[in-house]
Amino acid sequence: MSATLVGSLYGVATLLLMFSGMPIAFALGGVAVAFMYFFMPGASLDTVTQNVYEEMASITLLSIPLFILKGAAIGKSRAGADLYGAIHAWMHRIPGGLGIANVFACAVFAAMAGSSPATCSAIGSAGIPEMRMRGYSPGFAAGIIAAGGTLGILLPPSITMILFAVAAEQSLGRLFLAGIFPGLLLVALFSAYAVWKFKREYAAALATWHGGGHKSAYLDEMTLTFAEKTRLLPRVMPFVILLTGVMVALYGGYATPSETAGLGGILALVLIASIYGMWRPRDLAPILASTIRESTMLMFIIGMSLLYSYVMSYLQISQSAAQWIVGMHLSKWVLLTAILVLVVVLGFFLPPVSIILMTAPIILPPLKAAGFDLVWFGVVMTIVMEMGLIHPPVGLNIFVIKNVAPDIPLKDVLWGVMPFVGLMILAVVLLCLFPGIAVWLPDAVMGAKTV
Amino acid sequence: MSHAAPPEAALDPTGPGLLARTARLMAWINKAVMGLSMLAIVAAALILTGSVVLRYFLKIPTDWQDEAAVFLLVGLTFMCGAAVQAGRGHIGIQALAGLLPAGVNRLRLLVCDAASGGFCAFFSWKSWTLFHEALADGQTTSSSWGPPLWIPYGLMATGMTLLSLQIVLQVAAALAAWRRP
Amino acid sequence: HAAAPVDLKISHQFPGGTLTEGDFRDRLCRVFAAEVEKRTNGALKGTVFPGSSLMKTNAQFSALRKGALDMSLYPLSYAGGEVPEVNIGLMPGVVTNYEQGTAWKSAPVGKVLADLLMDKGIKIVSWIWQAGGVAGRSTPLVEPADAKGMKVRGGSREMDMVLKAAGAAVISLPSNEIYAAMQTGALDAAMTSSTSLISFRLEEVAKTLTTGRGKAYWFMLEPLLISRSIFEGLPKDMQDVIMTVGAEMEKFGTEAAKVDDQDVARIYAKAGAQVSDLSADTVKRWQDIARETAWKDYAARSDSCAKILKLAEQAL
Ligand code: NA
Ligand code: NA
Repeated sequence: MSATLVGSLYGVATLLLMFSGMPIAFALGGVAVAFMYFFMPGASLDTVTQNVYEEMASITLLSIPLFILKGAAIGKSRAGADLYGAIHAWMHRIPGGLGIANVFACAVFAAMAGSSPATCSAIGSAGIPEMRMRGYSPGFAAGIIAAGGTLGILLPPSITMILFAVAAEQSLGRLFLAGIFPGLLLVALFSAYAVWKFKREYAAALATWHGGGHKSAYLDEMTLTFAEKTRLLPRVMPFVILLTGVMVALYGGYATPSETAGLGGILALVLIASIYGMWRPRDLAPILASTIRESTMLMFIIGMSLLYSYVMSYLQISQSAAQWIVGMHLSKWVLLTAILVLVVVLGFFLPPVSIILMTAPIILPPLKAAGFDLVWFGVVMTIVMEMGLIHPPVGLNIFVIKNVAPDIPLKDVLWGVMPFVGLMILAVVLLCLFPGIAVWLPDAVMGAKTV
Repeated sequence: MSHAAPPEAALDPTGPGLLARTARLMAWINKAVMGLSMLAIVAAALILTGSVVLRYFLKIPTDWQDEAAVFLLVGLTFMCGAAVQAGRGHIGIQALAGLLPAGVNRLRLLVCDAASGGFCAFFSWKSWTLFHEALADGQTTSSSWGPPLWIPYGLMATGMTLLSLQIVLQVAAALAAWRRP
Repeated sequence: HAAAPVDLKISHQFPGGTLTEGDFRDRLCRVFAAEVEKRTNGALKGTVFPGSSLMKTNAQFSALRKGALDMSLYPLSYAGGEVPEVNIGLMPGVVTNYEQGTAWKSAPVGKVLADLLMDKGIKIVSWIWQAGGVAGRSTPLVEPADAKGMKVRGGSREMDMVLKAAGAAVISLPSNEIYAAMQTGALDAAMTSSTSLISFRLEEVAKTLTTGRGKAYWFMLEPLLISRSIFEGLPKDMQDVIMTVGAEMEKFGTEAAKVDDQDVARIYAKAGAQVSDLSADTVKRWQDIARETAWKDYAARSDSCAKILKLAEQAL
């Protein structure tokens, strides 16, 4: 059977199983095993568990639970509420101020974590309830966090950029630097949207209230004197200490990236113990339990999706698709568009790590031959893969949101993230028009690239 | 993608009968595993933190910490699979749940659970084979620490077995609820 | 009506390229596949899966044994946890130049190792050895005495033992985190093959390089392997083509490895790094430490390990 036919079958079977409501992890694993049985040598079935174990047993990947722990310690203790209380007190006069604060919080956390779901979880566990409490519609709040969380792989450090750098034989330092301004561009776009959307939701809330309807929390007045506001400031200290501590450990050369994850978790626990007296087992149990539940769910999906992509790779499904595109000998920009569309389609099913491993060896040489700077392309591809994280069926950040705020209906989450997908497309277009957004900083810091 | 109402209504842990007794046992195991996993995740974080202190300040080699953390984290991930399943925490896309009539929906959920159970049972089986190979051949990791591989494989196999049992229990409960009017 | 061609899946962990460009370990696999296809008139083909795009490095060995993977270009010592004997493939000081390594294939040590792998279900198609060096963040790591207090990634059980004995603070981290760790200073020095020193682009963050050109204590055996059950399932003429082309690839591999040993020095020097070579005395000093630590540890693991080490010493 041709790779195209098997590939189509694989896609259809996956979609069917997923939309049947089967848990994503088991659906991915089940489809993979079934296709292994029918289309691969019998011995493959004996390697399933070792494959999954080897994929998961990497400290880089397993830093995700530790990053989630760090986020949960702040988000699920009074530290989170205090932090957001202070931010709100200072920023409530700015339309969408709290939303902007959340986008920035995601960006800051992204600078410490290499993965997007971890970023999403860390900020979302406190950020979503806080925004909803102050009137933000559930979909809007979920969208901000889901999209903000994707910055985890665009701003350094980033697991996927590390893989891309190795596959593309590009400088990791250059790639990390190239991600910074596009990351800030997305922060700016997301913030601008937050302001616009806030104004609309605020106006609608006002109209409802004036029309005799219920009074949204948007309309709650906050009158604090400057002295009162100043007294709130020390409450951001735990977060600032945590941030500084982790950044110094990571960028000061004290800790390796994975050690930083453990260090951040411990630092966060020590802070809530010393400042809020949360050290007893009954104080910590809820934080640890939610961390474990969420990371188990996530790691199961990641582990099984790696099994899924093993089968996909063996059957050469994505490789054939990439080869087919490359074989058409398209003109420069059509080739780029076709490849990015392929990445979007693969993003329906695969997490970014798998997309890079499978397609990079095939798509990179022709892109290079067509004259594209692969560092620039690495950034563009990362943004396109970020979209995959927030659109179904396999959108890791959406699953995180469903876990953090299970009561928000899927429909609301999806409508909430769509505008952000649009903004990411806009960012990609801007990067095509002005490649300097990505390559200016690495060129300035490391000198122009030698070929 | 909302959490559908779990068909665990029949799983009244206070009630009489084999199903209820099994449910009680399973709930107890899940609770114990969860408690141990909480210690494990803190231990993993402490080990990595200690690693920084040992190497940077005391110049002591740190060649086992990463692996110890990996074992703890992989182990707890698999071991907690059942506890998460008990709370229907393995997320799926429940888009159809709202569209189907209640009876059909129950059938759909049952089929999904059965398929999930089948996959997990297969995975458990192959994990035990892997565990057995590692134990029989004395396999270790290839690092200088070189801890035996049967430890993580054993945790993976045990965890997946518990997860399979949890799903079987949920399927049994759904079938029991079905028989009752 | 010809039978459908046999398609051998060839997996490896190194960056992917083309027949003529990129990491030589990837090129070697591609040239092998192309040659085999040519000589069997298309009856036997090969598909290369670079960059761990099929499965993780560690999973390959077991998959080969079970017949779930056809071929792999594999750093043999990675399987040391599964088959302790193969740790000889990255034993510091046991091979100190390419001539010694090349001689293994027909020497008793090679025969014993090949038989052992055959027993485990794997056949060696090409014997490829490769030298490696050290990239340092600030001070050069040339002599064992230099290692004292340095945070070094040795990258293998045996190398770590030697480094520890030399007083280094050995650190274990995934190879893809080396760049970032060296940039921040979490890592002072890293040892790896010349080719990987190039493809990881460590010259951007390293100030020093110790090359393995000419002679080295760091030599890695990364043979092209085939699953025994797959191999034995092929007709005799195909088996012959595989072994013939495999043997021809050995020359290709050694030449390319030597080119990379020179290139790495050129690239790092151009980036402003201080480049050092190893003297025969220095190699001997490392070897002496290895003899007392890693070699002893290895020989003590089993009788067959002791036997392999003894034969390897004879080949030295
Ligand atoms: Na990041
Ligand atoms: Na997706």
